[in-house]
Amino acid sequence: MRKMLKIYAPFSINEIKRQLAYKGAFYLWILVNIFGSFISYYLWMAVYGSAETGVLGGMTRNEMVVYVFMAYVTGSMVNISISKTVSDDIVKGTVSMNLIKPIDYRMSLIARAVGDMVYQFLLPGIFIWIGLEIYRVQVLGEQIVSITTILWYLISVVMSFLIYVLFDFCFGMIAFFTTYIFGMTMAKNAILSFLTGQLIPLSFFPEGVQKVFDFLPFSSMIYTPVMIYLGKYTGSELVFVLLRQAVWVLILYAAGSLIWRKVTTRLVVLGG
Amino acid sequence: MSTIKRYMRLYRVLIAQFFKSILQSKVDFFMGLLGFFCTQIFGIVFLFLVFQQIPDLNGWTLEQLIFIYGFAQIPRGIDHLLTDNIWMVAWWYVVNGEFDRYMLRPMNVLFQVISEKLQPDAVGELLVGTILTVYSISRGVVVVDGTHVILFMISVLAGALIYTSVKLFFASIAFWVKISGPFLQTAYQMSDFAKYPTEIYAKGIRFIITWVIPFAFVAYLPARYFLISGSSASVIGVECIIAVGFWCIAYALFQKGISIYESAGN
Amino acid sequence: MIEVKHISKDFVSAKKYPGLKGAIKGLFSNEKIVKRAVEDISFNIADGEIVGYIGSNGAGKSTTIKMMTGILNPTSGECLVNGVNPSKNRKQNAQNIGVVFGQRTQLWWDLPLSESFTILKEIYKVSDEEYQERMEFLNRVLELEKFFTSPVRTLSLGQRMRADLGAALLHNPKVLYLDEPTIGLDLVVKDNIREAIREINQKYNTTVILTTHDIGDIEELCSRIIIIDEGKKIYDGSLAALKEEYGTVRTVTMEVKSIEKLQEVNLAKEFDVAPKQCRVELDREKNTCQVVFDKHKVQVPQILSRIMEVTEVKDVQIQETELAEIVKAIYRHENGEAVL
Repeated sequence: MRKMLKIYAPFSINEIKRQLAYKGAFYLWILVNIFGSFISYYLWMAVYGSAETGVLGGMTRNEMVVYVFMAYVTGSMVNISISKTVSDDIVKGTVSMNLIKPIDYRMSLIARAVGDMVYQFLLPGIFIWIGLEIYRVQVLGEQIVSITTILWYLISVVMSFLIYVLFDFCFGMIAFFTTYIFGMTMAKNAILSFLTGQLIPLSFFPEGVQKVFDFLPFSSMIYTPVMIYLGKYTGSELVFVLLRQAVWVLILYAAGSLIWRKVTTRLVVLGG
Repeated sequence: MSTIKRYMRLYRVLIAQFFKSILQSKVDFFMGLLGFFCTQIFGIVFLFLVFQQIPDLNGWTLEQLIFIYGFAQIPRGIDHLLTDNIWMVAWWYVVNGEFDRYMLRPMNVLFQVISEKLQPDAVGELLVGTILTVYSISRGVVVVDGTHVILFMISVLAGALIYTSVKLFFASIAFWVKISGPFLQTAYQMSDFAKYPTEIYAKGIRFIITWVIPFAFVAYLPARYFLISGSSASVIGVECIIAVGFWCIAYALFQKGISIYESAGN
Repeated sequence: MIEVKHISKDFVSAKKYPGLKGAIKGLFSNEKIVKRAVEDISFNIADGEIVGYIGSNGAGKSTTIKMMTGILNPTSGECLVNGVNPSKNRKQNAQNIGVVFGQRTQLWWDLPLSESFTILKEIYKVSDEEYQERMEFLNRVLELEKFFTSPVRTLSLGQRMRADLGAALLHNPKVLYLDEPTIGLDLVVKDNIREAIREINQKYNTTVILTTHDIGDIEELCSRIIIIDEGKKIYDGSLAALKEEYGTVRTVTMEVKSIEKLQEVNLAKEFDVAPKQCRVELDREKNTCQVVFDKHKVQVPQILSRIMEVTEVKDVQIQETELAEIVKAIYRHENGEAVL
């Protein structure tokens, strides 16, 4: 473990440094990213204002406020894209270079993503989180979130992060089939923002559709941790959703290994 | 006159090239189209799901909101199709010195930048916009007569010009800061606010998207004119004035930027 | 043809700090650094001249060229190219000039070369007859037809350079700027490119300004060179004069039988010249004696006969100082006095 840390930690640290280096970008990304949340926030306020009942899709207005911003905070930590690096390496042919080095390619990417995640958590994640809690207590007059809930939430986020990154790794390998990954990425982001619950809580979907979501890894990326944060899962249900996340980590890890092996053997054969 | 002719001919030559390259990479074309189509269409699915729970949103029906949303996509798509290369100025051309080559040719610099690329991805947005607009018109929520049709077209063009001006303005900042992509991204993203009725937002946000980065004039405000019969057409006039005014400011900034361009490698 | 009058160029940049701490500090600091890349440079270039513009990396060569082509505006001073001020009338100037940057193509990356030429024909308003005539010439000297239908991105470096050169010449510019046109090319291609440049210059009387690190380019092409260092002009004159002025140092290397006997010999004193005008270096391992001297002060036979008086000489080599050495010495700021 110690040795692993020594090898892969520089990837994480470099990523944090690289992010800090962009001065102008630094302040603005924060702003851009929050735009979406504010649009959702105002839309929901209007929706609840127009609704006849106080509970929509199983959520009160106050819970929706928390949902919108926690979905953002969670998303900023979880949606760390590595597929661009993977596809770039494939398109440029530098993948074979990585095969020579004595480190695991996927591990080095994940380590880099961890750096990015920490950075995203510090800026702006934690500020929005704290801001939200202050708003919740001061304006909405609710109880502050409990430590145990935060703990379960963080455990869930770590697994969400792994699910996303491992999924994205597989996705990046699409570059073997089309070189125009940009369009694919756009489509992926759009579809994911929907299926993960980032755009709208999955409880707003019709029953049948929700059943289908239960068998896909996407709800485990955003929806699960945010619902944990909202205290919607307790007891055996909480254990079940966390276990489901763990299973998805394992499945996607195995799937990534399998595809990677297939793809690299082909690379070696073709001399990519 | 001969200058305009020459520019037109050159544009035709470049566009012909561009179509040849699309035909060579149909998969890429389809992927890009799909990407932008998905991004925009999910906004409508969102509205659809929400409307399962509520009868109307601040007095707007689902069909009306669909029109606003779809109408917003058309100027956006037109601008995206024609002037997408401006993004490259913000992210790449200035900082790495590729802008040099435009400075070396005896033609208008902005024309060179724009004419170098058509963005087929925009077809995705145009498709969403057209489908939604046609759908909502068929549902009879929009006033359709001669004046409205003409003003519709004028409004779409003015809206596209507002988009282009915003892009040009923020891309030009790159001449001072080398990479202005994040600024442009921020400004461009503001347009998402304008896909919904702006009265749902707080005053500050409403002010910004109406008068600072005037995206409200691209979509919601003109859309309201088409939705509410008997409303004043002056909003379209204001839209045109804003479009031209903003364009002049953006182009002046671009020209100023060129004069202090530093190239790369120093 | 070209008049450059007292041009200077400053670049202003934000101050950067090293390390992770520095990156955070940089976020909040607003310090600026002004770097003067070109300082008060003036020169005139006549019609049909081929001028080598040389200097070490970062000396300000490219900056000067960019000001002459209209890419950059000078901070002060002005230049006139064919009577046109590039920073005021960029488009008019662009019609008169052709530019090749060795490190970066100006062609359309994804288009076949032929299409690039079609577009350039439109941009520069080249008539059909002119186009025919030019293409015939360019095909002859640059052999473009071999790869005329290939996309630019598939061309080899040598082909791409020929293509770029052809593209820069399509509209028959009066002035041709070449920024490192032979960088990274092999010897055969270099020769071809140089030959082409010479032919263009002779046939159309095109003025050529060439920056390069390759002394071969200069020796084969340029009658005149301008050297700049740290933004200042430090030499402007003919190549021959430069060699005459700075290249007076020669070296004679002798393999001798007994090197010990030479230790006592002090040639400078014996010939009555300053020590640096005749310096002796002994190499005990190779048994060689190397004398570095000023050819105006001391003659080879003098040295040889003096050494042979002391010991037996087995072999002799005489070296003229090469241009590369001269230029290197000048870069090293030896106050215009090349001490080799």
